[in-house]
Amino acid sequence: MQITKSIHRTLLAGTLVAASAAIALADFPNRNIEIFHPWGPGNAMAMSQVVAKAMGEELGTDMPVISLPGAAGTKAQTTAMGKPADGYTIFDGYVAPLVLQPILGNADWNYKDFKPLSAAVANAFSIAGQVDETRWSNFEEMMAYCQANRGELRYSSGSRNNLPHMVIAKALQGYDCVAQNVPYTQDGNVFKDLGSKVLDFAFINVGNFRSNPDKVKILMVLSELESSKKAFLGAPTIADLDVDVGLSNLGPMGWTWWIVNPDTPDDVTEKLRSAMERAMARQDVKDAVEAVGFVPLNWDHTSYEEIVGGVDAQLNSMGNALAWEEEELNKLN
Amino acid sequence: MIIDFFSAGFDVFSSPLALILTFTGIIVGLVVGAMPGLGPLMGIILLLPVAIGLPAVAAMGFLIAIFVGGSCGGSISAILLRIPGTPLAAATLYDGYPLAQKGRASDAIGIAITSSAIGGLIGGIVLVFCAPILANFASNFAPPEYAMLAIMGLFAIVVISGGSVIKGLLAGSFGLIISTIGTDSFSTGLRFTFGSHNLLNGFHIVAVVVGLFAISEMTFQMLKRDLLEIPKVKVARPGLRTISMTLKHYVNLVRSSAIGTFFGAIPGAGGVISSFTSYAVAKASSKPGEKYGEGEEGGVVATESANNATVGGTLVPTLSLGIPGDASSAMLLGALLILGFIPGPAMFENNPDVVGGIFMVYLLSNVFLLIAGILATPLFVYVLRIPKVYLIPSILLLCSIGTFALQASVFDLQVMFAFGLIGLLFRAANYPLAPVVIGMILGPILEANFRRSLLISREGYWIFLDRPVSASLVTINALLILAMIYITIKRMRES
Repeated sequence: MQITKSIHRTLLAGTLVAASAAIALADFPNRNIEIFHPWGPGNAMAMSQVVAKAMGEELGTDMPVISLPGAAGTKAQTTAMGKPADGYTIFDGYVAPLVLQPILGNADWNYKDFKPLSAAVANAFSIAGQVDETRWSNFEEMMAYCQANRGELRYSSGSRNNLPHMVIAKALQGYDCVAQNVPYTQDGNVFKDLGSKVLDFAFINVGNFRSNPDKVKILMVLSELESSKKAFLGAPTIADLDVDVGLSNLGPMGWTWWIVNPDTPDDVTEKLRSAMERAMARQDVKDAVEAVGFVPLNWDHTSYEEIVGGVDAQLNSMGNALAWEEEELNKLN
Repeated sequence: MIIDFFSAGFDVFSSPLALILTFTGIIVGLVVGAMPGLGPLMGIILLLPVAIGLPAVAAMGFLIAIFVGGSCGGSISAILLRIPGTPLAAATLYDGYPLAQKGRASDAIGIAITSSAIGGLIGGIVLVFCAPILANFASNFAPPEYAMLAIMGLFAIVVISGGSVIKGLLAGSFGLIISTIGTDSFSTGLRFTFGSHNLLNGFHIVAVVVGLFAISEMTFQMLKRDLLEIPKVKVARPGLRTISMTLKHYVNLVRSSAIGTFFGAIPGAGGVISSFTSYAVAKASSKPGEKYGEGEEGGVVATESANNATVGGTLVPTLSLGIPGDASSAMLLGALLILGFIPGPAMFENNPDVVGGIFMVYLLSNVFLLIAGILATPLFVYVLRIPKVYLIPSILLLCSIGTFALQASVFDLQVMFAFGLIGLLFRAANYPLAPVVIGMILGPILEANFRRSLLISREGYWIFLDRPVSASLVTINALLILAMIYITIKRMRES
């Protein structure tokens, strides 16, 4: 009798737990879903807000974007993945924290450790020089000058050890060009200091270029995509110049793929995926993304391994161009 | 040319939607500014998704008005409660709170709002008439100039510390040390993070400011024996009286607005530096009998006109060059891009209606600030009539909500309470708190630009003298040091 009662109680408790879990899932989302964004306020954050707003409308909830910059984006990713795996926290998975920092040994995760929702946006970078430069007229001549004057040129990739830094360092390594990298925390100041001839060349994003296309001269767009070439008003790309930096497709570009904690329940993940895919398919979202010079991406979660895995493999096989740069600069000092 | 912008933008500007949203933005800005922890940036971030679905000028009017209102709103809690709603208002404490303690809370708020509005309008006039020229001048400010400006800003500590210069310098040094915590952007090495990912980007300045000022102040208030008393505070509408009070300080007003606009136009400098610098300049050039730090109207005029003029200043590089002056204008830039307009010289040529509309909503938002602020001042002052037994927990709750909302972080709350304790110790030992904020804000600017200058330089430290503007700033800094030494020796001999 006692045993039967215990079984009944256990079954009842189990049923209640299962029922409440089912109700919780059926109700999902019943509160705000937070998006952790790894950079400070600016264009990239505005892009995430556009996607979050559309996705929130699809889900019937608000999705505030929280800016949590620091340590090349790893602070935001660590924080987001430390939150409960209930689907109420999403990480805006930019390539730097998701793929690059683990390769550089600055994070202990792998892109495979997370559940992908959908690709969001990409943005191309370029290498630009001064508009009235007399020492060279194109990228190859600049590299020749750099080779002949090792350590003389000053350039910036924005932050140090970020994707543009790695890609530019790899390109410079290919030409045996040693130049001093000057880190900046705000891309706008890089643009400003290139325009005022403090820097010899620099990484430039689409937003800064489009605001002032006459202030700098684009020497090379770090992308093979036609849309990127168009965003930089037809400037030569990696493909045009036949510069081999060992990267293709999304490899040399900044991009974000929204991810959630791997322990997030499958039903919840599916709801989020479906909502994000619907949001990314919306014309108003595409228009808003393109207005800023970014590229809307339409890969769903099934392409995560292929696309992100491809970038991971490329970045891994690039060799450590950053270490080479530091070593060569140390030899000069 | 300017007339063309105004005539082109008048139709979009004068739509009922744009006018209503600009006024609404001012109200929202005043509220988020007055709430400790929140501020104009948070207001803009929260409402950007709403704005991007609106017509361009109405949307920008809404967001710019939040920026304008939020930059002023922090002064309300600074004056009434000795709690700066935002770091921008930290310098307003010096004279705003003592003025309120003298029974002139309404006057103090009225002066703060009037100064903010007039400062904002002066910044707006510069924006309208000199945007391209000022933007080109500011774009020549490179790392050596930033480093020298940061050193100049640190001198403000000496001026504002009054009789306790050594304590002020020690507090400033504490702020400088705190600012080194986090990831070194040059070596990517970690400094004083102790393995905690929460410290990878150091302490959030707002959590520190709320802790230092609000938590310590509320604790001090709790120690008093008047928790249940209903304070008898005279609530008067400031009206036109405070406008004339503010205008009496016209030299201070124009000078501080010019300083604010200048710092705003230099990307990355910001309103906190401008308000402290303006305060230091106002105090240094005060007349005999003016007692700054004890409730001098000029102190409120200096800080509030400067930090709102900074808003107009930050819009200069944002609209003219597409380079945001600070985090709030970076969000405005993002909003403009999403709305389909690319800030920069081309926007001035291709979209004069939008440029003119933005000019007008900015100017109008400052007028609305004056009207809404003056009308609402009695409501703000009513806060002082709430018994402390209700007021203190309410403020602590608001501080906690505001600080948590920054980054949805419990760690920020812990930082807030830890700095509350530090603030208590500082106050018990009679150390000033504002230098900590100055050190924390100027530390990263100084360090990064000094190191950046040396990386750019091919001749070591000569880079600071090779560039004319930098060399001028080095000279001014040297003269300031000599003047301080001279004044100190003179005072020592006199005493």
